[in-house]
Amino acid sequence: MHFSTLVRRNLTYFWRTNLAVVLGFATAVAVLAGALLVGDSVRASLRELFIGRIGATDFAVTSTGFFRQKLGDDLASKTEFDEAVGGYCPLIALSGLVIDEQSGHRASSVQLYGVDDSFWRFNSVEGFTVGDRDIILSPDLVSELGSAAGRTILLRVEKPSAIPAGSLHGRKEDLSRTIRLTQQNGPSRTSLLSFSLRPQQGPTRSAFVSIARLQKDLDLAGKSNLLLLSRKAGGSSRKVDRYLRSLIEKELGETFSLEDLGIKLRPLDQKRGVALESDSAFVSDSIYQSARAAGDGISGISVRPILSYLANSIKLGDREIPYSIVSSLNSEEMEVTTHDYGHGQGPTGRSLSEEDLKLPPIVLNEWASNDLGARREDVVTLEYYRWQDEGRLETEKAKFRVEGIVPMTEEFLDRDLVPDYPGITESQNIGDWDPPFPVDLQRVRPRDEDYWHKYKTAPKAFVPLELTEKLWSTRFGKYTSLRIVDTRRAPQEYLEEFRKALREKLDPFVAGLAVNSVRSEGDQASRGATDFGEYFVYFSFFLVIAALLLATVFFRVGIEQRLREIGLLRAVGYNTADVRSLFLREGVLLGGLGGAIGIVGAVGYGALIMYGLRTWWVGAVGTTLLTLKIQPLSMLLGIFSGVGAAFLCIVWTIRSLAQASPREMLAGNLEAAFRKRPGTASRFSRVGSPSTLGILLLLVGGGLLLGSVTGRIGDTGGFFGGGMSLLAALLCFEYAWLKRPQKNVIHGHGWWPVVRLGFRNAAHRPGRSALCIALIASAAFIIVAVDSFRRDDRAGELDRRSGTGGYPLAAESLLPLYHDPNTPDGREALNLFERPGLDLSKLTFMRFRVRKGDDASCLNLYQPRDPRILAPEDDFIKGGRFSFQTTEAQDVEERTNPWLMLNRNYGEGIVPVVADANSLTYVLHHKVGDEIELAAKSGPVKLRVVGALADSIFQGELLMSERNFLRLFPDIGGYSFFLIDAPGENWGSVSAALEDELSEFGFDVVSASEKLASFHKVENTYISTFQALGGLGLVLGTIGLGAVLLRNVLERRRELALLRAVGYDQSHLAWMVIAENAFLVSCGLAIGMICAIVAILPAIGSRGGHLPVVSLPLLALVLVVGLTASVAATMASLRAPLIPALRAE
Amino acid sequence: MLTSVSLTLSPGDAVSIIGPSGSGKSTLLHILGALDPPTSGTVTLDETDPYRLGDKELAAFRNKKIGFVFQDHCLLPQCSVLENVLTPTLVGASNHHGGSVDRARALLDQVGLSDRVDHRPAQLSGGEKQRVAVARALINEPVLLLCDEPTGNLDHRAADVIAAMLLDLHHRAGSILVVVTHSGELAARFPIRFEMADGNLRRL
Repeated sequence: MHFSTLVRRNLTYFWRTNLAVVLGFATAVAVLAGALLVGDSVRASLRELFIGRIGATDFAVTSTGFFRQKLGDDLASKTEFDEAVGGYCPLIALSGLVIDEQSGHRASSVQLYGVDDSFWRFNSVEGFTVGDRDIILSPDLVSELGSAAGRTILLRVEKPSAIPAGSLHGRKEDLSRTIRLTQQNGPSRTSLLSFSLRPQQGPTRSAFVSIARLQKDLDLAGKSNLLLLSRKAGGSSRKVDRYLRSLIEKELGETFSLEDLGIKLRPLDQKRGVALESDSAFVSDSIYQSARAAGDGISGISVRPILSYLANSIKLGDREIPYSIVSSLNSEEMEVTTHDYGHGQGPTGRSLSEEDLKLPPIVLNEWASNDLGARREDVVTLEYYRWQDEGRLETEKAKFRVEGIVPMTEEFLDRDLVPDYPGITESQNIGDWDPPFPVDLQRVRPRDEDYWHKYKTAPKAFVPLELTEKLWSTRFGKYTSLRIVDTRRAPQEYLEEFRKALREKLDPFVAGLAVNSVRSEGDQASRGATDFGEYFVYFSFFLVIAALLLATVFFRVGIEQRLREIGLLRAVGYNTADVRSLFLREGVLLGGLGGAIGIVGAVGYGALIMYGLRTWWVGAVGTTLLTLKIQPLSMLLGIFSGVGAAFLCIVWTIRSLAQASPREMLAGNLEAAFRKRPGTASRFSRVGSPSTLGILLLLVGGGLLLGSVTGRIGDTGGFFGGGMSLLAALLCFEYAWLKRPQKNVIHGHGWWPVVRLGFRNAAHRPGRSALCIALIASAAFIIVAVDSFRRDDRAGELDRRSGTGGYPLAAESLLPLYHDPNTPDGREALNLFERPGLDLSKLTFMRFRVRKGDDASCLNLYQPRDPRILAPEDDFIKGGRFSFQTTEAQDVEERTNPWLMLNRNYGEGIVPVVADANSLTYVLHHKVGDEIELAAKSGPVKLRVVGALADSIFQGELLMSERNFLRLFPDIGGYSFFLIDAPGENWGSVSAALEDELSEFGFDVVSASEKLASFHKVENTYISTFQALGGLGLVLGTIGLGAVLLRNVLERRRELALLRAVGYDQSHLAWMVIAENAFLVSCGLAIGMICAIVAILPAIGSRGGHLPVVSLPLLALVLVVGLTASVAATMASLRAPLIPALRAE
Repeated sequence: MLTSVSLTLSPGDAVSIIGPSGSGKSTLLHILGALDPPTSGTVTLDETDPYRLGDKELAAFRNKKIGFVFQDHCLLPQCSVLENVLTPTLVGASNHHGGSVDRARALLDQVGLSDRVDHRPAQLSGGEKQRVAVARALINEPVLLLCDEPTGNLDHRAADVIAAMLLDLHHRAGSILVVVTHSGELAARFPIRFEMADGNLRRL
């Protein structure tokens, strides 16, 4: 007989025990590999979902404004581009709101795409067209609206305006346009209808209309703002991707036109040269600098900045001229002008002095001078509007000293000094004006109309440029136009030369264009904010441990069962190494077999978890589109880890064989065989007894608790650490107690001494019993302790320190609000009037500027690469609401109100931000003090996290000060997020009224506590998942405990038979066995729960003394399973025939 | 296995039964001890046929009337010597109300283990374990004391001690003592001796 034959015989003869070992290992492998499969599956599903939604898109060219629709054609004409790019299509992408006219159902935050046939061809859908009056909705949107083909859909869409709404001439009302369309069915490839470039696993609200319809209705003829590009077949590595992106950027840099950046060059005459104007009516600093650099490179060209402004009145005494254009003159022009037309003593090329600024010079034209009766040295007053960033229109005044009076000659009647202001410059009469600010047309006199008819926008007054910069420049730019002049040449002669030079100097990417690697970035984001594989390995931790422990226990039981056999082998000449080798081979085969079965189990476990994520735990992932994807690498990793752990258990178990006494083994005397010989004490026992270790752990735990109570250690660390130490200490004491000499004699009669006998049985194998108790205690600890993290949505709804900041309502608007609803003027502009029983003037709005970006909350499974940013106004910062978990506060003031840190100066290029603690840790994977790089228009900026909010509604974004926001994102105007304080409790009526009155803005109000609850739901679902899997591990451990107990019963069948022989009946044996098992289960549960309650005392305190109740049924289940297992063990013991047991057969 | 067995014993009788392996002597002992019902025939002890009793009553009957000593002492390893002796007293109505522990100590004293009451079985020799088993069998003052190869696992000297002790204790208790054994030497010490062969019981 070969050694291998002996191994085979052993494996088959002891098949019952071996089967238990194999199943234990198989479970461990299945759970470990299955958990990793879950991670792979979530990643692969997210990727698949994203890839399905972007269609053929690999890259996208975007812009802060609009570029020419034919930009793609121009790019395609370039050979290198054409060789790399397979297809392209221009789109208009806007946000909108759709209403099903029939049902009245509406959906906001709809991503609207204006497409032509090229979009469908680009995505390999041939022969499909969106009709001029058609709209196609994504399946999710159809489902949400309950609409169908043929129904009338009202599309309310943002009306883009090049002029920033945050400037005086930008429109702040009537920002949207409603288009009536008919819903049609889309192409059969429905995944394309969920088209979205932003990775987000939730439902997509997408709508498609004809690009021509949008261009027509929104005055965007020939424009688009999104160009999709697909690569030609080839590699898809990150290297290739980077190469292609840089190629596209290079080609775009060579191909873009000034029109694509909203810049116009308008030749005038030889003296006035060329006017450079921007669609936004402001020339940004970067364009001005580029124009200057371009002018410097061309001989004879000068670049002159101009700032023109509308004065509401020019007054002198009781005379006034309404609504006049005032323009700038630079110092040189001022000198010449005042020399020629003044007293010859004007400023001579120097900056204005402090004295000048007290009463700065102004030059009137003759018409104005006559109208006012003004003479040199008279003091006139200019009144003008200034739009304040916080949403107020204010009238300001400035006094000027008349420095000169210029004649009504062509030189001073330049109507091209003013850019196009819709509502003004195109008007035939002043009376026809329709500007986005209030004008009192009754003030307009016939002579004003005459001036307008004759001279249109020709300025009536001129002031020094230096002063206009101080008075009227905005964050969108200091100037309204530039003049490029070469007095030696006609403008047509140098127009193209300058255009070319300007193109070379302009950086289109600073000016607003951008190239995004959509597929590659989405692929990166698909890796997820959360590594579900890692999470589920944690969640399944107890399942793995329970399975490994069970397998180990059974393996050891198998060894103990074969004690005589081992003694015999030793007696016939096997040395220790031979015996160990025999068992190691058996163990390896059992582990391998367990691994093989575990592969099947892993797929099953993975599929079960994925099913759970789609159903029971869908609250954690927010999508039902996750499916199991089997990745061999993770599978192998899980299998090797599981089998490796199994082998370690085997080696650990059989190491004790080395010291076993052959004589005692032959006699079948387990205790004697494994009794420690003198001088062979374990390292553990050399360090100290379990009691000593327990005392040490108790001291550590006490220290942590004390540290926490005195505030030296954080509550979570102190109490949780203290609870864990206490758990370990109690387990040590329990082990010591089980091992102690039994001094109390069991005597008397009845059920109690029998029960005590059961307890004594539990102490018979202290190691095995302690292991069972430890397993149950640890799992109970985790289940109860984790439950304390379950969020209570009822708590602190209106508490200023709570996660809602005490605000009952939160709102978002599709279109930003520019007017301040906290002021009477703002409410009037927004139509927020008093309603019966509802005084909207008593509402307080905290307004936040919003820079759109990725959702950084746990609701988004994708890794946010460009988080959304909110900027609260100063009143909110001063309010100091919400609670911070961690801050970088440096002084008492900041510690009292950590929001103040947002206004602290961290130096050039560093902007302080605040984030929610959960999002920061689990989604953004940062901590307070870290810096996050952000690509702003002005260049990369470092966002320094200075504070982490504790459990707040701000989980999806970063918050920065308004000042920094306006500096970083000058193009973004208005406020789109609001926290609303409403007196009383009729918040439902308030919400309805606000949504109704502000429907034009797509105003959507939610209860702040509901918003917080939506985040809590995710966290609570994770906790439930963890508890469910932990509980499963606990149940497995308890079932294993029952199996161990059964094994014990079988091992002790002779003892039990003897007890029956001496008069114990079935009920006595049942009491005894149940008592033993109940003792183990109860000890485990009690120790685990007591320590968990210590660990969560702060949480209990914060809940007003509520204990975690969700975990109690789970623990009760464990108790029931444990007791059922003991009953099964009892039944097994009673079924055993008495006589053979007595004979030890 | 047993074909023709008829046996009537009175209190104070001390009986040994010898026979080769497989002759049925242990089977007879188990039938006498109400552990294994006979396929035919009856067993009566104190005018009671235990096999007519229900499970609960049968267990109580064994507990009160019968004491067992097995070849393999069958001690509970988790219990001390004293507790092992007390094991039968934990269930059923005690014959010694309030005095089980004292009686157990007295019995252990009688079997020479008064200095080992707190020891665990693993700390005892084979002979000592068997003495504990004898004390346990006598704790409820049984009417019938049955011993199955009580010296089978013991050396000559220990076997001699156990035999003497059994007879001495039996003499004091006045019970019926039945010992089955391979050992002719042990059997010879009993006043009444039987031989079991081929299922038949024959008085020697």
